[in-house]
Amino acid sequence: MTTLFIDDKEITVEPGTSILEACRRHGIEVPYFCYHPELSVAANCRMCLVEVEGWNKPAASCCTPVSEGMKVRTRTEALKKDREMIMEYLLIHHPLDCPVCDQGGDCKLQDYAVEYGPSKGRYSEPKRAVINYDLGPFVNTCMTRCIHCTRCVRFANEIAGTGDIGVLNRGDHMTIAGIVEEALESELSGNLPDICPVGALLDKPSHDLARPWELSHHSSTCIQCPNGCDIQIESRGEQVMRIRPVEGSPEPFICDRGRYVYDSFRSPARILEPQIRQGDGFGSATWEEAFARTVELLKDKRVGILFSPYWSLEGLMSIRLMRDAVFPDAKVAFDLHRRDMRPFAFEEGFSMTTEQIESADQVVVLGCDLRQRLPLLMLRLRKRSRQGRPVTRIGAMNYRTNMSLSNDALIRPRDWHAVIARAMEQVQQLGKTAAGMDEWMASVDGRHEAGKLLADALMADTCALIVGEEIRSHEDAASLIYGLDLLMRACGHAEEGRDGRNLVPEAMNAQMLSAVFGDVRASAGELFALAQAGELDALVLVGSDPVGDGLFPSAAKAALERVPLVQVGAIEGEISRYAEVKLPAAAYVEIEGTFLNMEGRVRTANKPVKSLGEERPLWKVMMRLAMEMGSEPPVVSLEELREALYAAMPEVRDACNSVECDACLIRVGRNRDARALPRKTAEAFPLDVVSRYSMYREGMWARASELLSEAGRIHALDDVLVHPDTLAELGLKPGPLVVESFLGRHTFDIGVRDDVSPGVIYIAKRGVAGDLSDVTSARLVGCGGDS
Amino acid sequence: MIPSDPKQVTQICFDRIRIPDQRRLEVARANGAYSFLPTVLNEFNSEQIIEEVKKSGLRGRGGAGFPTGLKWSFVPRNTGKPTYLLCNADEGEPGTFKDRDIMRYDPHLLIEGMIMAGYALGVRDAYIYIRGEFVAEARVLNEAIAEAYAANLLGENILGSGYSMHLTVHRGAGAYICGEETALIESLEGKPGRPRFKPPFPAVEGFYRCPTVVNNVETLSTIPAILKHGGDWHAAIGAPNSAGCKIFSVSGHVNRPGNYEVPMGTPLKTLIEDYCGGLKRGTVPKAIIPGGSSAPWLTSEHYELPLTFDDLVKAGSMLGSGAIIVMDETADVIKIARRLSHFYAHESCGQCTPCREGTGWLERLMIRLEAGKARASDIEVLRDAAEHMAGRTICALADGAAAPVLSMLKHFPEEVRARVVEKAA
Repeated sequence: MTTLFIDDKEITVEPGTSILEACRRHGIEVPYFCYHPELSVAANCRMCLVEVEGWNKPAASCCTPVSEGMKVRTRTEALKKDREMIMEYLLIHHPLDCPVCDQGGDCKLQDYAVEYGPSKGRYSEPKRAVINYDLGPFVNTCMTRCIHCTRCVRFANEIAGTGDIGVLNRGDHMTIAGIVEEALESELSGNLPDICPVGALLDKPSHDLARPWELSHHSSTCIQCPNGCDIQIESRGEQVMRIRPVEGSPEPFICDRGRYVYDSFRSPARILEPQIRQGDGFGSATWEEAFARTVELLKDKRVGILFSPYWSLEGLMSIRLMRDAVFPDAKVAFDLHRRDMRPFAFEEGFSMTTEQIESADQVVVLGCDLRQRLPLLMLRLRKRSRQGRPVTRIGAMNYRTNMSLSNDALIRPRDWHAVIARAMEQVQQLGKTAAGMDEWMASVDGRHEAGKLLADALMADTCALIVGEEIRSHEDAASLIYGLDLLMRACGHAEEGRDGRNLVPEAMNAQMLSAVFGDVRASAGELFALAQAGELDALVLVGSDPVGDGLFPSAAKAALERVPLVQVGAIEGEISRYAEVKLPAAAYVEIEGTFLNMEGRVRTANKPVKSLGEERPLWKVMMRLAMEMGSEPPVVSLEELREALYAAMPEVRDACNSVECDACLIRVGRNRDARALPRKTAEAFPLDVVSRYSMYREGMWARASELLSEAGRIHALDDVLVHPDTLAELGLKPGPLVVESFLGRHTFDIGVRDDVSPGVIYIAKRGVAGDLSDVTSARLVGCGGDS
Repeated sequence: MIPSDPKQVTQICFDRIRIPDQRRLEVARANGAYSFLPTVLNEFNSEQIIEEVKKSGLRGRGGAGFPTGLKWSFVPRNTGKPTYLLCNADEGEPGTFKDRDIMRYDPHLLIEGMIMAGYALGVRDAYIYIRGEFVAEARVLNEAIAEAYAANLLGENILGSGYSMHLTVHRGAGAYICGEETALIESLEGKPGRPRFKPPFPAVEGFYRCPTVVNNVETLSTIPAILKHGGDWHAAIGAPNSAGCKIFSVSGHVNRPGNYEVPMGTPLKTLIEDYCGGLKRGTVPKAIIPGGSSAPWLTSEHYELPLTFDDLVKAGSMLGSGAIIVMDETADVIKIARRLSHFYAHESCGQCTPCREGTGWLERLMIRLEAGKARASDIEVLRDAAEHMAGRTICALADGAAAPVLSMLKHFPEEVRARVVEKAA
């Protein structure tokens, strides 16, 4: 540790810390523009100058490391004059348009001008103006206001990894610019206005709509992906103006999906009042009328329950309580991406925190588009790659990561067994094995060389395995995950404290779902098959859209042709056209509640946004439903509901009561007995089908958001892609081709890209090519005949 | 031949510069080039060479005057990373034109110095970063390097010694700031030339974040003589703490402007009167810029100053690159300061606030002052804006930009005041 004196105050910090960081940590205010704790140091604004005793000139505190016994002064007459001059230099070309600038009132330049600047500028020469650049749908630019701190440039290079913002020209002709006529290729672009200390980069969707001091602030948890970031929702009256990250939370940034989904909160797709089907449309109803119709549809019927994993823990608990009270035999489904419902050797959720993954010796990503699925985890992988730490990826598609991967292999989903078996062979040769491994390997015929990359990474001291949707949605997922579990155990990555098994979950609350619904869950496909076979009379849907999302849209449609649907939820989806009754429940930003993210961190939302219509918290709707169906409601208050939740998951109570809530992690479930061996069934068709998860269009909220839909259009790929070799082997050319599967024959515009593994049909735009989501294998044929 | 008696030495880098066709390897070798190289490669080890250079008292000839041997000794060994040697041939400081003559007339002297330095530092790849405008010089260098490769003076296993070094010439694109060593490194890496903040220093993290030594052309060209005659020999030339000879590029109001290599400590007046044929007009200069345009100005009272690092600092200026610009009484100091302000505003890289905004502000103020359109209050603004640039930025360009303006205000207040009053009246 290094001890130094700042303004005569004795301070001890880690060696190598900068003077500015030392000041920040000890509450000594030093002004700065270009410094940002998450970015590399640029030292260009020169606002953070301090005096160091014995040095003949002032030092920039952001780039000067502390040294033992150093005597630093942050407030002297000379520094006051220096800061005054820096402000004067900065304001030479900065327009005095604070009254019409969105940043006004929340602007570093403005604040410092008041605190450190001279009362009057002396610059009387001509000022300059700068041409604005188009930085996509989310970032508004007013480059004349730029003070050239280069935070945005460093953000694009280091955090987003896209590098599509740069500096042009020199001296006072210097400008910041994007790539001409191209939108930022980043799923994190919404952070740029937050990063910018002045009004040069501003939030475009909320531009010119509100002043910072008019906004009220609400804290909540983002449920748009399993990462569950803390968010601050800013509203004016009923209008939600924007969503921002929360300072001091585990993630300093949030992704565009979580940030710009807010326009859906007030979209026409919201269910704000009870509705009953009338002919082809819907009519408003009272709660009484709607429940009467619901009881009519459900009373004494065989019911299947489908729900979204995105409700709060309290909401999910109330679903379970309602089910047990009213439909004790009902099967429930909540995962639209899982085909294999056998227990997994390690359940969904992360054993490691994202910080641990960032610093692990090795990271292996198996079949996952992390940039779309978990953009904040991708950011951490990018950080580790900048520090020279390896990241290995194996999967069906060379997903854009905006970083350099150390190892990369393209495989077909049907090769996963052979990959794992190859890795097992290699670790066994090195004397690492686990009981059951021989048996597992013996059930697999082939070996795939990509397994070497996996085995190599497993040799490290700490290895984070991130298992993605290509495995989770595999038809034989349980055996693959058992195989990976064997590998991890053999190599010592399953022990307490070194557990590297991470299965990317469908959504939030995965730990709770496997703990509370483990005994009654079924796959969504299974429910639809039962309905189609006449074994169910009705479906209750609590906030999910199996027609618009997931892997069973065709099955869902076929089922709903036969049985009626009761929809409970905050927002409509494509499934709503099948509903008989719609009951409004409050959205995630409108409730007080508890959530679990993929790491098992407990997130609480305690300052909700005002509700708009008649919607009620989900638990109240569930309890009312129980009552209407003739049962005693299991709980009558939020406190009782929480008690029921805590009884099922005592560790959640502990975490909620702990002062260090972030440090209490709810553990992922393990199934010691889940010993699924590889199935020996051949795929029906020669090509594997993999579909893309797009953060801009997956989920009802995102589809109801015009902002995200617009971004989705900008960042869209072709509809269906295959490797050029796949087509060459079949003697086909790109263009309209027929995809033949168990669903029949569909014609798609097929494009080629060598990012797709040979032997794979990649559905890049699920909504357009939605009819293929149910399919795992298919055949390609020319449009003319049956070749 | 350079005399082995240090007392008789008058020049080192320019010793063979007037020999016709010295740029050709055959001629250079006939005149002693590379004659001592095998001895160095076969009989000296790295520590011995660095020790000799330390003993020699050689200080960097590019401008900062940092002791060369000390700089070399800062390079960490066994880091697992390669060490790079970069020759700074960007010679962009206004008034300086000395390195150019070494490169175009005696390129083998530089190459020999680089091989010796590279050997001492364990370098495999060395680069000469040459100013973009030096088209002919780059051609001469490349021809000389090709000849050296053909003669196994460069490349693998030099002269059978087991030491291998590759040398590449890289042409700059015309930015003054790329003469600053960290901007030079950025530029050589293919990025825009913007200086890096220090620490880390290039010796530890330089070119591609590897240990790197950046030396000036004149510095490296002095190495062969030092190793041949010994560090003590070099230390005995010149003046205390300013050992050796120095090339001065003299320009301005003198009768014979040009490059003159003299032992350090030679009085300014001797250089101007004995070597440069004296002033064009008058007996004492009105102002002298002694170390390139970034150096604060001197006036007639310093005319007899010995040219050493220390004496110039004592006089409030610096030796810099050794470019001496002489102005007689006909010089319009305001116009000269305005012209230099334009140069710095044009060359500021734009990173640091004071320099980016300040250089432009100074230039615009100076334009008004020169045109007689400045108000009396502008003089204080000018002084404030210049004073608070210097020493507040990543590199020293801002200091250089402030120097002419502050010198003008310091030494010629009456002229400035007259220009303001002139038009107001």
